[in-house]
Amino acid sequence: MSGYSAAGGQGRASAFSGDDDLRLMARVRARDQAAFEQLYRNYHPRLARFLINLIHKPHLVEEVLNDTMMVVWDRPESFRGASKLSTWIFGIAWRKAMKAVRRQDEPVEDTESETRASPDAGPDGRLGQQRAQALLLAAIGRLSPDHRAVVDLTYFHEMGYREIAEIMECPVDTVKTRMFHARRHLKRALSGDLGAGALADWW
Amino acid sequence: MGNVVHLRRDRHDEALKLLPWYMTGRLDPADKARVGAHLAMCPACRAELAAERRLRDGVARLAIDMELDWAAFRRARAVRPHSRLAGAVGAALRRRMSRPAALGWLVAAQAALLLVAMPVAPPAGRPAPYRALGAAAQPVAGNIVVMFRPETSEHDLRRVLTLSGARLVDGPTAAHAYVVRVPEAGRGTALATLRAQAAVMLAEPIDQAS
Repeated sequence: MSGYSAAGGQGRASAFSGDDDLRLMARVRARDQAAFEQLYRNYHPRLARFLINLIHKPHLVEEVLNDTMMVVWDRPESFRGASKLSTWIFGIAWRKAMKAVRRQDEPVEDTESETRASPDAGPDGRLGQQRAQALLLAAIGRLSPDHRAVVDLTYFHEMGYREIAEIMECPVDTVKTRMFHARRHLKRALSGDLGAGALADWW
Repeated sequence: MGNVVHLRRDRHDEALKLLPWYMTGRLDPADKARVGAHLAMCPACRAELAAERRLRDGVARLAIDMELDWAAFRRARAVRPHSRLAGAVGAALRRRMSRPAALGWLVAAQAALLLVAMPVAPPAGRPAPYRALGAAAQPVAGNIVVMFRPETSEHDLRRVLTLSGARLVDGPTAAHAYVVRVPEAGRGTALATLRAQAAVMLAEPIDQAS
């Protein structure tokens, strides 16, 4: 396992549909291991992204991710189809991640975020982009886990506020408010570092 | 007049909160219509939307690179087609094999294979019976494990199951065992019936966790 990269949004938004998910899940309920493997492969990149954002430690990310997928395999009957499968799986991951963080009993601020910025952005003329990413990572790292989760689920996983509220087991208005404050923090942090409008030149 | 100003202020604040999902197309239709109408008349929110888009693109580009290792996951977590079943079947067979009146060598060999193979058995590309998503949450638990002679025909297998009142719950496993379910009250009788059949090499009670 490694850290962040500048892969240009690799894995962003799902390339598979909810129908595919449900078909796979029906087969998982019938103890079809091939279907479970497919589900694991579909969800691994998205969960990894979500979790590294929350708990930062690769070994812990792997543990939580695998624990999450084992719930899918061992207790498929607890998915009753009232929500999307992705909501159910991300909800499990969220709860397990928060437990893991509490168990660690360490500050959850991401103090190493700058060092995870990818060095592979290219040899020429892309140092500014790398720096921008490092700054953005640092700013995200200073958010609380609640705020980081909302930002990532909204921007990267492109989930709606109701789905995020289900995952995080909180009111919809809380999701909206967390996102509002997180955006304000990020914009302030970025404009403070490089001056207003600099964000426009980065991407 | 004051009410109108308040309403505009409220709409503005509401639109600001909803912009991220307006941008990703994940707003409810009513919210989307309200935000769209407000954007048409609010230059500040339009500018905010443009900044929002850049921020979203920046965050979304921060992909991560984490190895996907299904094989390691499977090894570490022992993903097995019948992980809960294996313990019950194995325990039943160990009890059976430890009895003085030992089974014939063939049965013993099969049972040994079952004990060894079940905890790591691959799914053999054969899913268990399909259950719809809305079906009962708890899977049906088997209460007898049966091994048939290798030459047993499908016709004979069906006849034995019918005769003993058993319903197939799982199998065949990699070791060619089947798990069946009979009414709990009649388990002793069903076991006796099964063991009396020439086609049956082994029939043992199990208490499978459901």
